[in-house]
Amino acid sequence: MEGVKPMRAPFEGKLVRLRAREPEDEPYHNQWFNAWDVVRYLGRRYPISHAQSRKMLEPDPRYGWSIGFIIETLLEGDPIGQVFLGSASAEDRSAELGISIGDKSRWDGGYGTDAMRTVCRFGFDMMHLHRIELGVYADNERAVHVYERIGFRTEGRRREMYFKEGVYHDTLIMGLLEGELVDG
Amino acid sequence: MQSPYEGRLIRLRAREREDEALLYQWFNDPEVTEFLSMRYPLSHAQERAFIESASEISYGKASFAVETLADSRLIGGVGLERTSPENRSAVLGIALGDKTYWDSGYGTDTMRAICRFGFEMMNLHRIELEVFEENRRAIAVYERVGFAVEGCRRDAQFKFGRYTNSLVMGLLEGELIGHKE
Repeated sequence: MEGVKPMRAPFEGKLVRLRAREPEDEPYHNQWFNAWDVVRYLGRRYPISHAQSRKMLEPDPRYGWSIGFIIETLLEGDPIGQVFLGSASAEDRSAELGISIGDKSRWDGGYGTDAMRTVCRFGFDMMHLHRIELGVYADNERAVHVYERIGFRTEGRRREMYFKEGVYHDTLIMGLLEGELVDG
Repeated sequence: MQSPYEGRLIRLRAREREDEALLYQWFNDPEVTEFLSMRYPLSHAQERAFIESASEISYGKASFAVETLADSRLIGGVGLERTSPENRSAVLGIALGDKTYWDSGYGTDTMRAICRFGFEMMNLHRIELEVFEENRRAIAVYERVGFAVEGCRRDAQFKFGRYTNSLVMGLLEGELIGHKE
């Protein structure tokens, strides 16, 4: 049809696909969230049991508004991490984003950037969000660069927000508004 | 020893069922809620449920009624919530519902009292709050007691037909100003 943009699957980027979580994802999930180099920059600090992993993968009653995806590679269909848009406010049209690539062999391969673009595009184009926000450890420079590359702006710095590994860390507030997503 | 519940003008006390009538009146007044996140009318049932849930004060939910020292009159509420024991952090919320007490130092005194309570009684390291960028009067109060603007969340809320920014402000232990005699 004239005037209609060519169809692009809203779940797919160039390297990854977002799909719903399944109970069968439990083994990877548990492995990812017990790997310290995966979780050191996340809000998590305690080891996670298989029961907790199963619970976290249970269908969310708010699914569709607070939404968690498994990130899998387009090529092999390998699950490599997870991403969610949560704490959504209908009136403010805002949500918070959280992401982790649990499969360390996929770090630095562009998968995180592609997953970020895909989930933000989904948030704006399919959920009709106006604002996506995330929090990141100020010393997690690799992540900050990824977020900046796709258009997130640093909006603030919470001083000594997180205590982990014996010291307080600052965290950055980063925000992306509709129209600001930089496509790759 | 100065009571940890008392400032110079106000006292922090637990919330009571009898507070419901005033809370209902305040939080259905758009002038009171203009810069608060609430936007729907509140029922008596909601106010009762709120007081019920807030009346048992604990580390996880330190929610107080604010009353005047002079005549024990209920004028507002304040609380420290989303407390994290590992980060020793909490998020502060405040509302002075009685408009006749605005602009006379009660808000500033309440802020000092609750922050002192957070640092000295709850052993917090960091207190955070969020404020509509247009609420200049509140921002001036928060800065006066030592809060620093740490960020500006763009278009963070939609109210009255438009998006507005909100500021994130933080206060670390040792930064509270003017709470000592």
